[in-house]
Amino acid sequence: MKALPVLVRLLRDPPLAAGLGLPEWDLALRQSTCTNLSPSLLALLEEHDLLERVPAAPRAHLEWVRALATRHRQAARFEVECIQAALGAQAAPLLLLKGAAYTMAGLRAGAGRLYNDIDILVPKARLDAVEAALMLHGWASSGHDAYDQRYYRQWMHELPPMQHLRRRTSIDVHHAILPETAPLHPDPDKLRAAAVPVDGAPGLATLAPADMVLHSAVHLFFDGEFDKGLRDLLDLHRLFQEFGVRPGFWDALPARARELELGRPLFYALRYSRRLLGTPVPQAVLEAMAPCGPRRPLLALMDALFERALLPMHASCDDALSAPARFALYVRGNWLRMPPLLLARHLFHKAFISRKDAPETV
Amino acid sequence: MLTAASPTVASLTVASLNRTALATRLAGPGLLVQTGPFVSRIRSSIGHVAEGIELLYGDYPLLAEDSFADFHVGLQPSGGLRRWYKPQVNFDLDGLVPFEPLPEAHAFPMLEWGLNWCISTRAHSWLMIHAAVVERDGCAAILPAPPGSGKSTLCAALVHRGWRLLSDELALLRPDDGLLVPVARPVSLKNRSIDVIRAYVPEAVLSRPVSNTTKGTVAHLKAPADSVARVRETARPAWIVFPKYEAGAATTMTPLTRTDTFFRVAGNAFNYSEMGARGFTTLAGTIERCAGYDFRYSDLDEAIAGFAALEPPP
Amino acid sequence: MDSATWCLRPGQTLQYREWDGECVLYNDLSGATHLLGGAALELLLALRRGAATLASLAHVLHAEFDIDAADLAGETDALLRHLQRLDLVDMRAC
Repeated sequence: MKALPVLVRLLRDPPLAAGLGLPEWDLALRQSTCTNLSPSLLALLEEHDLLERVPAAPRAHLEWVRALATRHRQAARFEVECIQAALGAQAAPLLLLKGAAYTMAGLRAGAGRLYNDIDILVPKARLDAVEAALMLHGWASSGHDAYDQRYYRQWMHELPPMQHLRRRTSIDVHHAILPETAPLHPDPDKLRAAAVPVDGAPGLATLAPADMVLHSAVHLFFDGEFDKGLRDLLDLHRLFQEFGVRPGFWDALPARARELELGRPLFYALRYSRRLLGTPVPQAVLEAMAPCGPRRPLLALMDALFERALLPMHASCDDALSAPARFALYVRGNWLRMPPLLLARHLFHKAFISRKDAPETV
Repeated sequence: MLTAASPTVASLTVASLNRTALATRLAGPGLLVQTGPFVSRIRSSIGHVAEGIELLYGDYPLLAEDSFADFHVGLQPSGGLRRWYKPQVNFDLDGLVPFEPLPEAHAFPMLEWGLNWCISTRAHSWLMIHAAVVERDGCAAILPAPPGSGKSTLCAALVHRGWRLLSDELALLRPDDGLLVPVARPVSLKNRSIDVIRAYVPEAVLSRPVSNTTKGTVAHLKAPADSVARVRETARPAWIVFPKYEAGAATTMTPLTRTDTFFRVAGNAFNYSEMGARGFTTLAGTIERCAGYDFRYSDLDEAIAGFAALEPPP
Repeated sequence: MDSATWCLRPGQTLQYREWDGECVLYNDLSGATHLLGGAALELLLALRRGAATLASLAHVLHAEFDIDAADLAGETDALLRHLQRLDLVDMRAC
């Protein structure tokens, strides 16, 4: 593996900050800006008491994003409160996923983490009631055509994204963490049964630590779009670091992955988090998860693909194979979510039909 | 590895490069130039850009190639067949292309608009108002105004009649102490105001007007050397004046209530919402130390006199 | 309904400025900035001192402003509901 980009080296080992020169800071902040990781970098440097060691010019530049991180946190907390007020007993406790979960649970993965949507998990049987309650309180299904509506409702694991008409905020209501059409079926009932309440926030819950990690892993390694790849990998790294010191976390993780049929995504998560970000993972866990990985030739291919696609999408990090790697993973991502016939039809529709027709009102 | 305090040796300016050296640097590694608190690395192989920079950016500090830059901007020709037929220019911020391409003749205005966009969408250490800012005798006037109000004409005239230029587009308010931070880049002028300023300020250095832009005919006025030299000097806001040019109107300065001023300034801010509680306290503090006015004028001399007559608030 | 208890929404610190009888106030929860009249501000300041019933809040307004006794409860209630829609106050279990 060739030398890692300076941003990745910084995220991997924050004390490096004290030794970087101005040209390296210039590059690091260009990489963090294009990956939307500047607020996370600021938070990381602050956590390690390193801000004072950053030279004046890059430090002043990095400070620009502080206001954004603060405002985002405020907006996310308010939005969660509004969702709780709207859903009440329809979704009690309200189970948050991804970024909103990290923020509300005060996890380190949430520090400086920006996101556009609030994601929640509700029982499939409650979907209609939840949708109705949201619409009653000002949310509307975003302007999709009839095909998109069916794509989401029939084949995916979520309602079409809903937007609040006044606040212009977005909510994604999931009933599972993988689409119906995917080959794996991690049981959402099991996830809900293991959910943990959020300290100091009555009525809110998140997935259990192991499940949070597994969800993040499947979200990253079963998806096709990697513009947020490094951010998602950083989430995993931070989650592993925070949960890894809790008794029993590492012991239970491999078994839980198998139980939820998520061995392969966890294998990748551990592998690339270690290789790129230096996450400390106990040897016993690596050995336990080794059988879940692909065979050697395929693993070599996946290494070549992921170790390019997970880097910042910046000219300084690309080589001749970066674009093909991302394309290959895009196809793979869609493949994993839909069986071939459905996929061809889906891509055909997206390419030729969605652009022409005006969206029908729902 | 903290940077040392500024050296006492006079720093190099863009004027130290001759035309060839400037064009070479722009076409190659990029030109690093400081404007107030911002360092931009500008790359362009387009002649109009080099021409505009040579004419209007001579006084600004030129930084070494290995300096830190806040913005890495490029103005490059669009590829393909467009290179030869009605050539176009693209603005990019480190690979991000926020705008549609423009005709190549618009490249220098595009640089100015692009840099304003970079600052106003990213520099959230300040509460940023879409306004001109001028200063005299330690007191600054903030002139918020939507396009077409005549703010830039007024600004261009004021800075050649005893006022210092802090900015023609971006009022940067520092949250900690409420002071205004200068940027002092060229002043953008449109349509009639180009001729008005040419007549009013015979010594003015203006870029070649570019016609048929989305804003009409556009030219840029070189910032007074004194304003650029004093770019590190912050200013205390004393007046918030909403200008409105109206042909034939008498010159009137009408006081506004504080709440009126507050919401009108917030409405002209780039990042009031993003700044959250700090934005509120910064703006509230500014309103409290300033007098707010609606200003109508039609005659530049009378307008200048109107500003000269402004009393600092108690 | 007179005995309904109102309180400030938790998290509201009431950052405001009062100029010439008008008030600009920053909403700590939603991030919005409001223009409020004197009566609304009085209610908020009263609730900052502690949760209160509609009746006691009406009394606060009566002491400070010229409102017809007949309209007092109705006006106070209307104002409180307006502030509730702005996420400044609430009538849940306080």
